[in-house]
Amino acid sequence: MGTVLLAKNLFKSYGFVRALNDVSFDVPEGSVFGILGPNGSGKTTLLGIIMDVLRANKGEFFWFGQSGTSPSLRRKIGSLLETPNFYSYLSATDNLRITQAISGRGTKNDIDEVLKKVKLFERRWSAFKSYSLGMKQRLAIAASLLGDPKVLVLDEPTNGLDPVGIAEIRNLIVELREKGHTIIMASHLLDEVEKVCTHVAILKTGNIITTGSVDEIMMDEDVVELSAANIDALSAVAKQLSKTIFFDEKANTVQIILPKGTARLDEINRFCFNNGIVLSQLVMRKKKLEARFFELTND
Amino acid sequence: MTALVRTEWLKMRKYNAFWWIMGITALSYPGINYIFYMVYDNLTNQPSRASQFAKMAIGNPFTFPEVWHTVAYFSSWFVFIPAVVVIMFVTNEYTFKTHRQNIIDGWSRGQFVSSKFIDVLIVSFIITILYFAVSLVTGVSNQERLIQNTWGQSKYILLFALQTFSQLSIAFLVGFLVRKAFLALGIFLFYYIVFEPIVTGVLKVYGNDMGRFMPLEISDRMTPVPGFLGKIDIVAYNKSLAAIDQHIILTIILTACIWLLCYRINAKRDLK
Repeated sequence: MGTVLLAKNLFKSYGFVRALNDVSFDVPEGSVFGILGPNGSGKTTLLGIIMDVLRANKGEFFWFGQSGTSPSLRRKIGSLLETPNFYSYLSATDNLRITQAISGRGTKNDIDEVLKKVKLFERRWSAFKSYSLGMKQRLAIAASLLGDPKVLVLDEPTNGLDPVGIAEIRNLIVELREKGHTIIMASHLLDEVEKVCTHVAILKTGNIITTGSVDEIMMDEDVVELSAANIDALSAVAKQLSKTIFFDEKANTVQIILPKGTARLDEINRFCFNNGIVLSQLVMRKKKLEARFFELTND
Repeated sequence: MTALVRTEWLKMRKYNAFWWIMGITALSYPGINYIFYMVYDNLTNQPSRASQFAKMAIGNPFTFPEVWHTVAYFSSWFVFIPAVVVIMFVTNEYTFKTHRQNIIDGWSRGQFVSSKFIDVLIVSFIITILYFAVSLVTGVSNQERLIQNTWGQSKYILLFALQTFSQLSIAFLVGFLVRKAFLALGIFLFYYIVFEPIVTGVLKVYGNDMGRFMPLEISDRMTPVPGFLGKIDIVAYNKSLAAIDQHIILTIILTACIWLLCYRINAKRDLK
């Protein structure tokens, strides 16, 4: 698997504010790479730099091994950066004609196809200014999909969409991932990222806190969830297995936290049974991305 | 190049303000020349001796070949009308943030400025065609002789085109730097209509005519007052005719500097 994008030691300042501080990461081909971070963490700045609308103060990046971005390279990337940027007096079709004229991606028929895909076909001749926020976002997604580019850069793609729209975009991203497209997406919707991303980078005040595959990042420790008829007895036994245990009264479960890669479910089961506990539930839990995100970004 | 022209055409063909302002310009250019023609006609077509003397003294500036110069001079007063559309073209890109999107979609930063250069070129071309048509119609309708020197002063077609392009380039620069439509329009119109004429006028009297080097005045002096008005002060008129070549060079240098500056700024700055 090759590397689509490699960022090396990127720095960016706005006056005294340091927006990016020594940011490095790489995006494997065919991955859905989520860039996570709270507001103001530098996500959009980072995407702006790799799409050549912002200049880094220091550092470099490589698309497909080539330094920086050439116009011909950008034409192959479908992008939605920050907000949908279109000519307000033009219709969806006319705006996509401009996208097509500049990027050279797609054909006239493709314009209709992408508009159908994002459910804007019926309103394709309405002026952009008459669209709702969600429709504007759909048009921006349509523009990024024009010509079926192999790489997409999407900044908060579900912004302004209703729950149905969010689910549709999620499915679209999964579909593109299955077709082998590489997608780089910034988002603060952790649940969305967890559902679709294969890799993530977590940014905080311009610094990369962590980067890697989603499984690597979330599975920093093993979480085993146990349940039994006598929950108090189970808690007592669990304390012998790990120093860190959590008792969930509502769910009537006990969670034990073990160092990463050390949990052996068969051994835990045997240990409990030998201590007179018959388990009704024994499962390895993945930590929620949200929990991991807060762990990493909270001081 | 063709791709840039095509893309710019896609942007402007359904932009109502563009067609409205072109329409206003199409009315104002013949209008202003017709008004001056009527003034001339009223002055010279009276049965009085004074009127006949005036006609003999100033001739008919609305016949060939003088008409090219006369119409160029009067029409050049109204370059601020198409300047509005040039400013709107560039500030729209900032308002809609399409100056970023065009780059993201695959233009180089240089191509973006080139696309705006093409806009200014297209507007200048339309204005020049309009001037050409007004001059031609005025000249033909005032034809007094069967054999006439129709193209004698046709160099004013090129001078008018250069002056229009130069002044619209200044309008573009203001829009490019200011980015906000109404602010840019306000600054340009104030500068065009109030500030520079006052400064030039004051410098003419007190500053050894250094106002001739003001940005708009540099190109204004390529189309000096027409001959019939020049007869009021023949020395000054001859001097202004002699200075045309110098002003052509200055205009070309200034216009080139404006565009080089725009290319340079756009290559360096963050597109926010």
